[in-house]
Amino acid sequence: MMLGMSPLTSPQGALAALARSFAQWLAGWGRTVQLAALLSALALSPSSYRADSRRALARHLYLGTAQALPWFTLLSLLIAIVVIRIVLVTSHSYGLSQYALEMVVRVLVLELIPLAAAMVAALRCTIPMAAEVAALRSGGGWDALAAQGRDPLRAEVLPRAVAGSFCTLMLAAVSSVVALVVAYLSVYGFTSAGFTAYTHTVGRVFSPAVSLIFVLKIVLLGLTVALMPIASVLDAVPRRRANTSAELQGLVRMLVLMVIIEAASLVGNYA
Amino acid sequence: MMDKEPNNLELKAALLLGLFVALVAATVLYILYARGSFEATQRLVLVADDSEGVRVGMDMTFSGFPIGRVRRIELAPDGAARIVIDVPVRDAKWLRESSVFTLSRSLVGGAALKAYSGVLSDPPLADGAERRVLVGDATAELPRLVSDARELIGNLTRLTAADSPLAASLANVQTITGRGTGARGASGMVLGEADAKQIGAALQRVNSLLARIDGMAAKADAQVLGPQGLVNESKAGVAQLNALLGDARQTLKKVDALLAEAQGVAGNVRGATNDLDALRGEVDATVRKVEQLVDEVNRKWPFQRDTELKLK
Repeated sequence: MMLGMSPLTSPQGALAALARSFAQWLAGWGRTVQLAALLSALALSPSSYRADSRRALARHLYLGTAQALPWFTLLSLLIAIVVIRIVLVTSHSYGLSQYALEMVVRVLVLELIPLAAAMVAALRCTIPMAAEVAALRSGGGWDALAAQGRDPLRAEVLPRAVAGSFCTLMLAAVSSVVALVVAYLSVYGFTSAGFTAYTHTVGRVFSPAVSLIFVLKIVLLGLTVALMPIASVLDAVPRRRANTSAELQGLVRMLVLMVIIEAASLVGNYA
Repeated sequence: MMDKEPNNLELKAALLLGLFVALVAATVLYILYARGSFEATQRLVLVADDSEGVRVGMDMTFSGFPIGRVRRIELAPDGAARIVIDVPVRDAKWLRESSVFTLSRSLVGGAALKAYSGVLSDPPLADGAERRVLVGDATAELPRLVSDARELIGNLTRLTAADSPLAASLANVQTITGRGTGARGASGMVLGEADAKQIGAALQRVNSLLARIDGMAAKADAQVLGPQGLVNESKAGVAQLNALLGDARQTLKKVDALLAEAQGVAGNVRGATNDLDALRGEVDATVRKVEQLVDEVNRKWPFQRDTELKLK
């Protein structure tokens, strides 16, 4: 193969290989989108929330979120204090204190916290869940469920996907509120005197367009984080041992999507 | 990850969901409140030639406090920019009919809309009022400022040049002050050397003249105020004049008495004249009575005369 003119070494062969890999890449994205649509349809259908499914959902919901929530809240509190302090001191030294609060709210609440919440939800919740699904498939549990007449997608995948999305939304909501409170206390201290001015600034930042982009961004980040790792393990051929390449591929896809969503939100907000 | 199964899973999951819903609802309500969705507003339209720097959502301030928010910016049919501002009704009291609105663009940061109300007792601004906005643009002033500064620096350069009139004037001043510190002092500075000498001689002559005038004054003093001076003789004259005046007063008193007597004589003559009047009246009455008596006698007497006139 190395000595003769293999198809790979010829330009036509390279082109064909490139086209093949592109087709595979496209088909992979297609399957991911199809799975996302299927899971969304399942999530929106009431039949997915019968008693037994509800119990599984509650279990994943609680265990997925409750583990990450306390320490992420603490972490976001510390980061918020540090970032707000830096912004306040810097803006004060340049004589731009009047813009400090608006900048804090924009940088922290609109940009940093949703991204951080999605990353933490992925690392602490959805990637381990995807590993569980992979283990279930490789361990034969998937086929066993199918043999029992139960849809494994509805029984095992849907609760994990919903729980992953919820985890992202919950972490983002709690840490956003924490950041808003810390911003107020950092600027005005423990007094209610600045409430009117602070409310006015928050109201100015959260214009209808910005609010819409913010909500869309968090929801899309939550879906990305919940679906991409699971989609990548479901797309791979089931094996006995852990499929590392499929997990890594899913992680890369998830990060690419997150960057695209963040970039789109920045374009929407500031372009 | 999920080794042990906690108790009350569904309840805890429901609590988490409830917490999430509460957080989201509270945040939405707070943002709606912050956007002013729950308070009544009135509209103010500011008309500007150029709305550059104005953004939807930016504040209009009064004394540094935000009292309004730009809701919309639109182009009027005449090409002017209409900046539509929502002012909460509770803050509208700061805007009066005489209020002035400015749009200022600073070098750093965005534009700023400001309202000024000089007379707060004026009638309040009506809902939907339309006002011109005064534009103060710091950057627009820059080119003019730079050209003015360049001109000023050019003038200063010309003024301070070595061959400039100012330098020549200063050199002259230096020469003059140098003469002022010389032997003749200020007179040497103001006049020439020869003139200063003449001034000195003139001053000496004036001094001697003053000495002579002093002697003359002493003599005049003796003649006027001395023992045989004018003043003493004048005193004696005045005493004689006093005596003369006393005699004249005595004479006048006598004339006064004479006049009083004459006045008495005149009074008596007037009384006599009155008596004569009465006497004459009495004589008249008596004559008339005598006349009547004669008439009576004539009538009754045989020598009666026919006094009647008869027509024949």
